[in-house]
Amino acid sequence: MADKTAGGQAVAASSSLQQTRRSLLATTTLALLFAPFANVEARTFGGVLPWIPESADPPTPFQPGGWHYFDAREASTMEAIVERLIPGDDLGPGGRDVGCAVFIDRQLAGPYGDSRRLYMRPPFAKAAATLGPQSQDGPAAQYRRGLAAINAYCRTTFANKEFSDLSPAEQDTVLTGLEKGTIALSDGVAGPQFFKLMLQNTKEGFLADPIYGGNRDMAGWVLIGFPGARYDYRDHIEKHNVAYPLPPVGIMGRSSWNQKS
Amino acid sequence: MRRSLVTNTLSIAILALSTCGYAVADDKQSFEQIERGRYLAAAGDCAACHTVPGGAPFAGGLPLVTPFGTIVSTNITPDPKTGIGAWSDDAFVDALHKGVRADGSQLYPAMPYPSYTKVTRDDALAIRAYLQTVTPVDHDVVADQLPFPLSIRKDMAVWNMLNFTEGFFQPTTSKSAEWNRGAYLVQGLGHCGTCHTPKSALGAEKADVALKGSEIESWLAPDLTDDKRTGLGNWTSDDIESYLKTGSNQHGIASGPMSEVIRFSTSAMSDPDLKAIAVYLKDLKTAPSPAVTAQAASTAQMTAGAAIYKDSCAACHRDDGHGVPHLFPRLAGNGALQASEAVSAVHIVLHGSQGVGTKAAPTAPAMPAFDWVLNDAQVAAVLTYVRNTWGNAAAPVSAGDVGKYRTAGK
Ligand code: HEC
Ligand code: HEC
Ligand code: HEC
Repeated sequence: MADKTAGGQAVAASSSLQQTRRSLLATTTLALLFAPFANVEARTFGGVLPWIPESADPPTPFQPGGWHYFDAREASTMEAIVERLIPGDDLGPGGRDVGCAVFIDRQLAGPYGDSRRLYMRPPFAKAAATLGPQSQDGPAAQYRRGLAAINAYCRTTFANKEFSDLSPAEQDTVLTGLEKGTIALSDGVAGPQFFKLMLQNTKEGFLADPIYGGNRDMAGWVLIGFPGARYDYRDHIEKHNVAYPLPPVGIMGRSSWNQKS
Repeated sequence: MRRSLVTNTLSIAILALSTCGYAVADDKQSFEQIERGRYLAAAGDCAACHTVPGGAPFAGGLPLVTPFGTIVSTNITPDPKTGIGAWSDDAFVDALHKGVRADGSQLYPAMPYPSYTKVTRDDALAIRAYLQTVTPVDHDVVADQLPFPLSIRKDMAVWNMLNFTEGFFQPTTSKSAEWNRGAYLVQGLGHCGTCHTPKSALGAEKADVALKGSEIESWLAPDLTDDKRTGLGNWTSDDIESYLKTGSNQHGIASGPMSEVIRFSTSAMSDPDLKAIAVYLKDLKTAPSPAVTAQAASTAQMTAGAAIYKDSCAACHRDDGHGVPHLFPRLAGNGALQASEAVSAVHIVLHGSQGVGTKAAPTAPAMPAFDWVLNDAQVAAVLTYVRNTWGNAAAPVSAGDVGKYRTAGK
């Protein structure tokens, strides 16, 4: 990536006559940025572009069935939470039925869960949120402690009931308290921060491609009118004030791709 | 016809000579003859089989998979020990014309002598003169890897008796010189029938259905006759010329084995020769292939296919199946697509394919692979759909037809 070609292109681009001074400066920094890598061998392609059959790099579809990270109690708590964050109604199914909890489970079991791609070592400081997470816990560990703390809170507050046993109204009270930071959780769990994480992940599960386990039957996309993994709208661009007629399609297709016998 | 060609290459050759001080040819093999030989060797695509990709030109060693087993091409550089440098001119002509080697033993027809037999002695000698100028390579090739009983070269004499007619090209006097030049190139050096003509159980070309299309290495070499549905009936002779010269035309883009034929052979041919080929092919009238009724658009398979096409294919091949000229092949009215077997299409949809890039059209657009997203039934559905929409008509494709090629012939 960062090789001679990139630097070379930047230099070549800056010699173009239409260049404004501003972009000239920008490209110069680019060139400087890449200069240290200048000894990396550049590759030159001549003639026909190289091509390999099956060079697609498709995402691995989620495997249905069972939980990969959550235990049974965490799973039922999570399903109850996502259903309160995005409740099902007459506009369509809610967070539980579209599989948001499944989505989160698969994410926590994967590289996202242990923040494999982030620097997670000390020193940790009491610092502004903009400075990133200040703990070595990735999301998976945060969920484990957070869900346990929520259930512990519910047991002491609601006569030994788990979160999933509460009425929807009671559940909303707990979640609101969590969001506002008005309820204290055990094990040092910061309520507002954990709430924010769950809300974020629930939205992702609701709107990410079904290939990742959530957004079942593309219900999230139907709701917001997103057409999905299509990449050609030329036939529709000129049709102003006309609703886009095609149903959404996922990376792995949609149900009409299968023959109905 | 040929004359103008010769003078053309000659003037180019003289130009080259004067600008870069080309090695002076010895008097016996005149420069003109060598250059003509270079051109004819390209027309005969000798390098396709006698050069290993990335290897020394003409040094042999390429394994060729035939219905009978694997045959390895030989070293035809002028190396006297391992190549053909010590062969007499007559021996060389006999290899092409009769399919025999210098020691009198038979060649296997993986070397297309059943086509090359038509090549004139004059042209064969020009090829020989050219081959004498390539760098000699010391490369001993063990050619025989066939299982018994085919491993016995003598048996090829019997095969030849049954399947091989030796004979130089005989012009058809009722046809034009151009037509005859086309016929000479197609039947002889071009050995187009090697791929495009259906084979008998013994691997010989069936003369009665010459160029009616055949399957090779999980690709279909389509019908080249003037058949409207499965052949070149909808192509003009300009379309054919452009396809052979650049690899694409308003109908399609060459892929698979044909892209190599174009890159190394036909794109190097002169315009008059390509025109001659087109004239000849356009005149190949055969009984039209039996009419086929298109699948009804309402069947469950067609409906599923339509959905897949709209979502995955229409962006490039367009809703009306017209594609984009020279970029995305036209599927509407596409002859090859409506052949009785959908081999190439299955192959292309599963594994993807890059079209040919030539000097005249270097883009080489590629079709993405769909094996990771479509299951066998879905590939079958979308192909049944494209084979039976926009006026196309062909037998439906089954999931089983697709499954065979999922791992084969990548
Ligand atoms: C389709 C592949 C193919 C093409 C095209 C082809 N050859 Fe061959 N050729 C072979 C194979 C395979 C053999 C070895 C056959 C055998 O061992 O019986 C061979 C053998 C020969 C031999 C005999 C060499 C020996 O040592 O026995 C000569 C000469 C030869 N080819 C010349 C040519 C020339 C000239 C051309 C182009 C006009 C050409 N070939 C094109 C496949 C090919
Ligand atoms: C090595 C095998 C091979 C040889 C030799 C060969 N072809 Fe082909 N040809 C093919 C294949 C395979 C295709 C299908 C390509 C595709 O699907 O894009 C094809 C496609 C074509 C097409 C396009 C047909 C269509 O309907 O799309 C034409 C025209 C053609 N060949 C002409 C020729 C001529 C003329 C020669 C001889 C000079 C020749 N071919 C030699 C394998 C071959
Ligand atoms: C990104 C653009 C693109 C998409 C999407 C695409 N194709 Fe293609 N298709 C191509 C190109 C480019 C070729 C020519 C490739 C070649 O010649 O090797 C091609 C070739 C073909 C051919 C062979 C046509 C011929 O004349 O040889 C068939 C059949 C085909 N595509 C069917 C499909 C189907 C079915 C789909 C959807 C599942 C599809 N394509 C999606 C670009 C595309």
